[in-house]
Amino acid sequence: MAFIEINDLFKRYKNVVAVNRIHLEVEQGEMLTLLGPSGCGKTTTLRCIAGLEKPEGGDIVIDGKSMLKEGFVPPSKRGIGMVFQNYAVWPHMRVFQNVVYGLKFQKIPKKEIEARARAVLELVGLGGLENRYPGQLSGGQQQRVALARALVRNPKVLLLDEPLSNLDAKLREKMRFEIKSLVRRMEITAVYVTHDQAEAMVISDRIAVMESGNIAQIGTPVEIYESPANRFVADFIGTTNFISGEILDTPPVPGTIFVQTGFCERLRCRANEQAELLPGTRAYVSIRPEDVEVRPEPTGVSENLFKGTIAHKAYLGNIMVLFVDMGDTEVRVQAPYHVAQEEGDSVFLYLNPEKCVILP
Amino acid sequence: MTRGGNVLALVLWSIIVFFVIYPLSILIFESFKIVETGSLGLQNYLGFFQDGYYLKTFGNTLFLSTLVLLTSTLFGIPLAYILARYRQYGKTIFTALILLPIVLPAYAGIFAFIIFFGKYGTVNLLLMDFGIIETPINFIYGIHGLVFIQALHMLPFIVLSLSAGFTNIDPAFEEAAEVEGASGFRRFITVTLPLCTPSYLAGAVIVFLWPFTDWLTPLILGQVDYLPSVAYINIAYHFTDMHRKYMGIVAVVISSIVCIALFLVARWWVERKKYTGLSKGTTSEGRVIEPGLLIKSGSYLYMIFIAALVLLIPIVLGLSAFSRRWVFEAFPTHWTLENFRVILLETPMLIKNSFVFSTIALVFGVLFGLPAAYIIVRTRVPGKNALDFVITLMLAFPGMAVGVSYLLAFWEGIPLATHWIIMPLALFARRLPYFLRMAHSSYLQLDVSLEEASEVSGVGKLRTFLSISLPLLLKGVLVGVVMFFIMAFQEISTAIFLYRGGWETLPIGIFLNWHRGMEFGIAAAMAFLMIVITFILLLIIARIGGGILKAAWGPGGS
Repeated sequence: MAFIEINDLFKRYKNVVAVNRIHLEVEQGEMLTLLGPSGCGKTTTLRCIAGLEKPEGGDIVIDGKSMLKEGFVPPSKRGIGMVFQNYAVWPHMRVFQNVVYGLKFQKIPKKEIEARARAVLELVGLGGLENRYPGQLSGGQQQRVALARALVRNPKVLLLDEPLSNLDAKLREKMRFEIKSLVRRMEITAVYVTHDQAEAMVISDRIAVMESGNIAQIGTPVEIYESPANRFVADFIGTTNFISGEILDTPPVPGTIFVQTGFCERLRCRANEQAELLPGTRAYVSIRPEDVEVRPEPTGVSENLFKGTIAHKAYLGNIMVLFVDMGDTEVRVQAPYHVAQEEGDSVFLYLNPEKCVILP
Repeated sequence: MTRGGNVLALVLWSIIVFFVIYPLSILIFESFKIVETGSLGLQNYLGFFQDGYYLKTFGNTLFLSTLVLLTSTLFGIPLAYILARYRQYGKTIFTALILLPIVLPAYAGIFAFIIFFGKYGTVNLLLMDFGIIETPINFIYGIHGLVFIQALHMLPFIVLSLSAGFTNIDPAFEEAAEVEGASGFRRFITVTLPLCTPSYLAGAVIVFLWPFTDWLTPLILGQVDYLPSVAYINIAYHFTDMHRKYMGIVAVVISSIVCIALFLVARWWVERKKYTGLSKGTTSEGRVIEPGLLIKSGSYLYMIFIAALVLLIPIVLGLSAFSRRWVFEAFPTHWTLENFRVILLETPMLIKNSFVFSTIALVFGVLFGLPAAYIIVRTRVPGKNALDFVITLMLAFPGMAVGVSYLLAFWEGIPLATHWIIMPLALFARRLPYFLRMAHSSYLQLDVSLEEASEVSGVGKLRTFLSISLPLLLKGVLVGVVMFFIMAFQEISTAIFLYRGGWETLPIGIFLNWHRGMEFGIAAAMAFLMIVITFILLLIIARIGGGILKAAWGPGGS
């Protein structure tokens, strides 16, 4: 049995369905990220777990105890820690008071409270700032106060609602790793909400991609990136090319399938076991720009090699991005920065069949 | 907690029903009563509109409202523009002076201007002394004086709402107009002013409704043919003449209907306009211009002119308060503390009553306002919007309507009116929204995640409120407390119908002393005393943080 179980969770605001009967399981000690664009229901799901929202249907079970079925368990009784998007560090309390706030209302000896607070402040790197007011701290430091406050009570579950979105880019990147190693070390079960796919990739054991109240796909970062379940996931995570086509009959080799597209008769692709691929149906081939290879001459391979013209060329320092006109579609290619061809030149593109994913 | 919220909402609703809805429905019920038969019907209303006199008072009031709005707008537009847009020294002090009439009781201004601009007032006497005129000019007694006094009293509402409008306009709109070739005055007329309309309207409706509420100014200036004054005279003096009494009640109801209806229409319109997203991505300061020398000196002169008119009120009342028998002289000649001796030693009861009643009303106001603000901002209790709506409506209700309805509802049946507690209760009902608005707006500024963070930390709702919300709301709550007290302290329209011997407050004392004619000096001294007390309270607000006050009293229906 998973540590957090979400069954059939349903939540709506007036006429808008925010969370549409989703199922989700989080294992003990796992870091799961809810990823999606704004309005996809990820924050609402998190707030339902916290008890800050009351869902209309379904159940949430934390550590074997239902949060809804035997009477609504209020947030104060759920044994969770939460880091808010805007930190929500109380401005009228010093750092130390902020951290010990929740402990003070439990029957814990004063000495122990103090020891625990000092330990956790040390852990997040705020030792020595106990007597500051939040107004005297930088954004990153306030973030750490919020984290310390969430961790000090040894919560069963740590919830993080876009905790890094208010930090500048450099600090954000650093904090990703810090949070990840901290949560790992403390072996806390954590649910993390973000709209930043790079952040999700770095921080998560598993990612649940959400789209308009539904879960589009759950999997490890590698699974999500390499085998997206549908076009939404493929598009939302990273950059990809969609080539529309029609599935041809008679796949000769198991695991392989051929697609007819605008610029080629037979494009060899990897068969996706989840998708139903009946011959004659329309489908999309997704291939990422880094999986397209640029060749000056049509040599080396006999399949999946097509001729096109460079329409645009963009130098990004470490790489060169080419937009290659293939007749009816334009393919985005990530090429080495020293690629010699200029705009208007002809090139050959090799679409690696292993990386051509068919999506309905 | 939802259950707790529901119980709380129920308690608040019962208070509203008993102290607001019940008395007001009695007022409406009475207005339909037919004197001869005791049954109900439209006769009173028909009689009112068929009677040429009452119809005339209605027309007069509408006319007066229009003139007051036009005048205050005409004087308010440049003032608001100067305050909102020009960079200059002394902006804070001028803003404070120009906004002062909001917190000064209306009657203070009337007495001051009578002394200064009256037939044998300072101005006329000076002009005659210098031989410029032979007979005194009538500055005050007539509709022109009425318009002048009421427009000056309401000017702050226009200035506040317009300057907020000017500040909130995205500078890009005006810059775009300038790039297109419309500069200066043309840009102002075609772009700036239209963009301010929603904001302006919020203030304008309050100004327009004032003549439907203010019975005292026309009465003192001897101009009684206006709806509220007629209502007052009919109800207060002719309660034995059943016909006149009922005409008075009908007048009160009609004034109230006009006030509520216009208030709602303006609100609806402003809300609708706001959603079209007139201003997006504004800077906090808005657009600030460094004017040329000519315009700068002109604007200074103009601000000094308006500020001087406002300052006349405390200065003239002060002179009068410290003098004796100031008549037929431009300035007082006999200085004395006699007036204050009378007020403080002979009738200390007035001051005591004022403080006691206002304080009790304040306690009710806070006990009601804090939970109400919580329900409205933080919960999803059904009917909370209706609660907010009813309370907000009290802003538009004439004080007289509350007074008369309390008189009708709590005399027989529920005989609350025989006990002095009716005075603070009526003050509480009348000033209901004032504290609430302040608590409400500071609650809105309090980020909900601060409270959620506490709950997640294992702390219950009530404790969270006490240890997180209340300390963070404190500033706004304190400003609300002082503001409520100021407004309750100077309330007369409600109290005038309810007081009995021994329950008189300072404002009633002022009215009675004027009424007796000879005691003008004492009335002026009392008014001066009220201004001093108000000033002290305002200083307290300024110390706490005036920004909150502006946030709550800016446009959006004050």
